[in-house]
Amino acid sequence: MPRVLLCGDLVWAHKECEEMFKGIAEVVPLTSPDRADFIAGLQPGGKYDSIVGMFYQHTSARFIGPLNAELIGALAVSVKWIAHNGAGYDQVDVQACKAHGIYVSNTPGAVDYGTATTALYLLISAMRRFSSAERAVRSGSWKTLHKAKFAHDLEGHTLAILGMGGVGLRLAQYVHAFPMRVIYHNRNKVANAPDWIEYYPAERLDEMLAEADVLSVHVPLRKETTGLVDETMIRKLKQGAVIINTARGKVIDEEAMIRALEDRHLGAIGLDVYPNEPEVNPRLLEFPNAILLPHMGTETLDSQKRMEVRALTNLRDYLTKGAGADIIPELR
Amino acid sequence: MSLPRVLILGLLKFAEDKVSELLDDIAEVIRVDATNRAEFFAGLQPSGKYAGAVGLYRHWDSAAVTGPFDKELIDKLSTSVKWIAGTAVGYEMIDIAACKEHGILYSNTPGSVDVSTATTALYLIISTMRHFSKADRDLHAGKWKHGHKAAGLHDLEGHTLAILGLGDIGLHLATFVRPFGMRVVYHNRKPNPDAPEWCEYFPAERLDEMLALTDVLSVHIPLRTETIGFVGERMIRKLKKGAIIVNTARGKIIDEDAMIRALDDGHLAGIGLDVYPNEPEVNPRLLEFPNAALLPHMGGDSADAQRKLETRALVAARDYLTTGTSKDVVPELR
Repeated sequence: MPRVLLCGDLVWAHKECEEMFKGIAEVVPLTSPDRADFIAGLQPGGKYDSIVGMFYQHTSARFIGPLNAELIGALAVSVKWIAHNGAGYDQVDVQACKAHGIYVSNTPGAVDYGTATTALYLLISAMRRFSSAERAVRSGSWKTLHKAKFAHDLEGHTLAILGMGGVGLRLAQYVHAFPMRVIYHNRNKVANAPDWIEYYPAERLDEMLAEADVLSVHVPLRKETTGLVDETMIRKLKQGAVIINTARGKVIDEEAMIRALEDRHLGAIGLDVYPNEPEVNPRLLEFPNAILLPHMGTETLDSQKRMEVRALTNLRDYLTKGAGADIIPELR
Repeated sequence: MSLPRVLILGLLKFAEDKVSELLDDIAEVIRVDATNRAEFFAGLQPSGKYAGAVGLYRHWDSAAVTGPFDKELIDKLSTSVKWIAGTAVGYEMIDIAACKEHGILYSNTPGSVDVSTATTALYLIISTMRHFSKADRDLHAGKWKHGHKAAGLHDLEGHTLAILGLGDIGLHLATFVRPFGMRVVYHNRKPNPDAPEWCEYFPAERLDEMLALTDVLSVHIPLRTETIGFVGERMIRKLKKGAIIVNTARGKIIDEDAMIRALDDGHLAGIGLDVYPNEPEVNPRLLEFPNAALLPHMGGDSADAQRKLETRALVAARDYLTTGTSKDVVPELR
């Protein structure tokens, strides 16, 4: 029977894993305390000998370090499929995988509900100024400092989505109930987007930014999206606009965003992600209208289980059909 | 013939532009500039600057100047005032019996805070299902995902929201949670004919059944003598273990001690409150629970809600002047 590795703990889907691989593959756990032990285990006769695929959970980096070129080079001795648990895979050296003929799948879709809900929470909190209000209750000052003038409901306001993938579409559905007007920018128009969502191509991006009350970031982190939301883009937003980021911290130029909070060009920000987690720039903590969550987008039993099952399914499909459904775009 | 005199008590902060549009052609509008109750009373005297007013637009923020609209005050108005257009949904601070005695009509602004209150309820539901409040607080205290277990944290999808009192606010909330894939159940004295078919009705005899399948109970009933402590020990214990309660209605509807006991022993997994029994006091015990999202009665505190509120009362004033009554006159005085 082929052998596969659980590189990082399965937290929820143990039963599903057993059922999925019964009679199909031997599932081997990661037992290495460091990279050297891991690489040794990959050699013929080692504990990970001949593994053809692996479920990859990024928490394993604590023991064996990140999935960089060196590690991928070592995996290449037998591994042909890496089933990455998580939609964002910016930590994986995709070029190294390509060079060694190793396929990588991620878990799109599984993260949509949890992440879009987080984005909506940040959006409501920012527009209604709830975060500072909660702090006021806990410090005993009730709502003396809160002014309704700066608190807005969603109806009649415009949400601009930067990157209309699964998460963006789900968020659009959520805000449509109020309704917010939804406009978006994507490299290409999204065919299955509902007709009440308006597309703005690159040549009309400035127009989109000027009409947005809220800009929500939903692009993956790549070289070309690093610092995409920069000084220029931020200044094209209207005064008092709100930025929400549940994608990756590095997509926004943090210094530019902080400057825009200082001079009140931005009315508020809602962040779930930061450039160098778990570090949070202490300057952000100074702004009462900065709502900050510690990368909670998929921190629920439901989302995590769904993601694990999706990753395991990709791995199983590789073994039984030759390929999983969620090969990342770079390797298709 | 001079135009009827209308007093504006308090400041319109959001719909000031509508005052002239709605009233200038049919009334003499006088802004009350009294700084306290005594000055206001003095102005109402026969020779005072507010004498002879037929109507009064009362902004809720004027309570700081005039004190409560009790019998004493209403008696003083009764010499000429025929109607009061109040900007507020609740009217506990108005002596309605005194109004009735003098034949003075009083209108409130129903509906004005429906969307803003339902949005507040949705925020509290998401916060408590996802434990966001503590996560935000911990981050500000320098702790990243401290003591955090995804086990107790849930997506809304596939979970059940029970709406206690499906009126206008409850209906908005139901619409907001629909795209999340929550099952929506509700209890009312009678089924709501405007409820969409996906809102499942549970009558009194099936209330316990409803509570047993509820993940989040959101309270949307009015506070009356018969609803004080309505969500009490018995109802709370009928909820499934690990349930969450959200209250954007009135604090006294929940038996606070019973709620705290249920949080202490883990029967309730969290609470989201915008209202408290004795505002602005907040029971310090509530602050001890990690999964408590606590707001200072902000359900109606948005620019949009306040503009609706102020405008609606101006429309009522216009209706009083042109037709003698308003559709917003409170039920007790119709």
